[in-house]
Amino acid sequence: MEKLKRDFNTIALAMIPIAIAINIAVGQIVKALRIPLYLDSIGTVFVGAVAGPWVGAVAGLLSNIVWAFIFGDVTNTVPYAPVAAAIGFLAGVFGKYGWFKSWWKAVLGGAITGVVASLLSAPITFYLFGGVVGTGMDVITAAFRSQGMSMLAANFLQGLATDPLDKAISFLVVYLIIRTLPDRYIDRFSRADDIR
Amino acid sequence: MSATYGLYVSKQTAIHRLHPLTKLTYVLTCLLIAWIVPGVWAPYIVLLVGIVPVALMAQVFPNVVQNTIKTTIPFAISLFIVQGLFWTGGTIIQQLGPFSLKEEGLLFAIRGTGRIIIAVSGFLLLSYATRSDELMLALSQKGLPSRISYVILSTLQIIPRFQHKANTILDAQRSRGLETEGSFLIRTRALLPLVFPLLLGSIVDIEERAIALEVRAFGRSGPKTSLLVLHDTNRQRLFRRLLILVSLGVIALRIYLWLAPRFAA
Amino acid sequence: MISLSDVTYHYPRSDSPALSNLSLEIPAGQFCAVIGANGSGKSTLCSALAGFVPHFYRGKLTGSVEVAGIDTAGSSLAELAGTVGLVFANPFNQITGARFTVREEVAFGLENLGVPLAEMEPRIDEVLAFVRLTDLADQSPYALSGGQQQRLAIASVLVMRPKILVLDEPTSQLDPIGSKEVFAVLRDLAATDEATVVLAEQKLEWVATFADRVLGLHKGKLVADGPPAEVLSSLTLTKYGLEPTRYTQAARAAQAAGWRTDETTLPVTLEQAVEFFR
Repeated sequence: MEKLKRDFNTIALAMIPIAIAINIAVGQIVKALRIPLYLDSIGTVFVGAVAGPWVGAVAGLLSNIVWAFIFGDVTNTVPYAPVAAAIGFLAGVFGKYGWFKSWWKAVLGGAITGVVASLLSAPITFYLFGGVVGTGMDVITAAFRSQGMSMLAANFLQGLATDPLDKAISFLVVYLIIRTLPDRYIDRFSRADDIR
Repeated sequence: MSATYGLYVSKQTAIHRLHPLTKLTYVLTCLLIAWIVPGVWAPYIVLLVGIVPVALMAQVFPNVVQNTIKTTIPFAISLFIVQGLFWTGGTIIQQLGPFSLKEEGLLFAIRGTGRIIIAVSGFLLLSYATRSDELMLALSQKGLPSRISYVILSTLQIIPRFQHKANTILDAQRSRGLETEGSFLIRTRALLPLVFPLLLGSIVDIEERAIALEVRAFGRSGPKTSLLVLHDTNRQRLFRRLLILVSLGVIALRIYLWLAPRFAA
Repeated sequence: MISLSDVTYHYPRSDSPALSNLSLEIPAGQFCAVIGANGSGKSTLCSALAGFVPHFYRGKLTGSVEVAGIDTAGSSLAELAGTVGLVFANPFNQITGARFTVREEVAFGLENLGVPLAEMEPRIDEVLAFVRLTDLADQSPYALSGGQQQRLAIASVLVMRPKILVLDEPTSQLDPIGSKEVFAVLRDLAATDEATVVLAEQKLEWVATFADRVLGLHKGKLVADGPPAEVLSSLTLTKYGLEPTRYTQAARAAQAAGWRTDETTLPVTLEQAVEFFR
């Protein structure tokens, strides 16, 4: 309980808005560069790594909600808030076990997080949206369906096509940031010892 | 300036003057009815009876329509294709080359699209006619921690500055010779020199922002007061209670419909 | 009002102390300027007065820092918030972002302190008039210029009626116009004898015009302490990495050429220079 209070200190609160803004800004840079990834949770992963799983979860959750308020898009955001929360949470868990201390562990942690994200997104897509996400990715889903696969499985596989890679790269970027930050800034965060 | 208020469109309508919780409860009730009441056309009825008139009263109808269409069309297309054509089993109503359009899939797509339209238009209606700081204050009065309210509102305001910062970095890097057009590899390599300065620079700000918050007694426990005052009326309170009753009734109806055949057997 | 007793502070993982055996007393109502080169400990002193050293920065603090009778090491930051106000260099980072107008931004601290609405409004009006932002009260804080934002930061802290106001190089990130605006506010603050103010500043000319007392820091130690005329015209300034004002330099050059060689107190401000060269 004490650790939780320490995690949600003023630094964490000041960090979350900036992390969310980074999520959005980087997501837009990626879109502008027309790279076929999302990379819209780098901020969330960072928060999870340096402030712990619960703060990471809150960051992910609020990120999706704010995204809806900013862009007026409630469909691709709010329903997937639990997934974003899980990503932040897992980043914190991996951080706690020191996986951000080496680059390949960070990448692996990201890949695992991506798989979990796909697992969690699939039922949301299935039950709320009838199995579609409203992008070209639905072609993949259609292809799987034409092979006789169940909709839920098709959604899951469609997610697997991008999420693990996307999250692996996100975790790697966060690893690089942590390496590059001067020690005095790392000290500020509650989970500093786990990630240094 | 409307940018800082999120999606809010400033007008002087009766809807705008309503207490934020009234609008929130109303939209959520519409959403619930549209999603839970059985039948393909339920969402569309709720749309016509519940959303459209209120949007007109709030003078945000064109905004809602425009944005709803923009967001819903990709889903609608995907739904009709994926569910209409790839529905397993079912009655074929039209053969299209190697694909067959199924009736069940079509009806599913119609209902699915309707549900999405309700969710989108309801959310937009709420956002266009409600100031986010008033909504956050209303929720805080109902128990939402002020820390959450702080995070949401300050995020809304710093995002435009961040996008500006990102653009500045983009221009600066481009003028230093960074290539952002061309092959996939070139574009991917442009990613790090754009993202890194943004991230590192922001992290320095976090410390100072935290200090500023502490100076303003944000870390203090105990009750907080508010300069902003929300206006509520007894009629609205009654209306909100009514909406909650209706919602509970709809849920109860749905549970009954689900259980009844099991007990009949 | 402020009392430091043999204070030594090390930042985490730092071998050399940022503050070294610092002892000083600042009485209530005094406007005290702190000067020193970069790395001399000015910022650390400001942080210590507001309690961020040691609560925020951690590290090792020995000796005691007492503000308005409260021991900073023994109190939390939340407890100190109403007593000590801190303004620092970056105006943008001092805007909370959670409020949409200047007026509401100023109210933020009062809301956290639980001040009732009826009391809030006149206090806010009063402080906005003091920093001359009344016309901008309904604007977004983000639409303001740097100088205006810094005045907003000062207002947001002053409205909480702290016993002590600490300013850590408030004009270092402002353009000349913004700096002038902020100094005008500080001059008004100095004129009221209610405020105990500690101002860390590099712009020595400004310091001279309204500070009651100047403290000089060098490598965390107190190396000068006296009225502005004395400290700022002293020859030892350059030894501590500081430049005397151009008025002092001009006067010194004049003295070397034989003008008023008997005068021991050299001018620091324009007015004093006019007197000297009369």
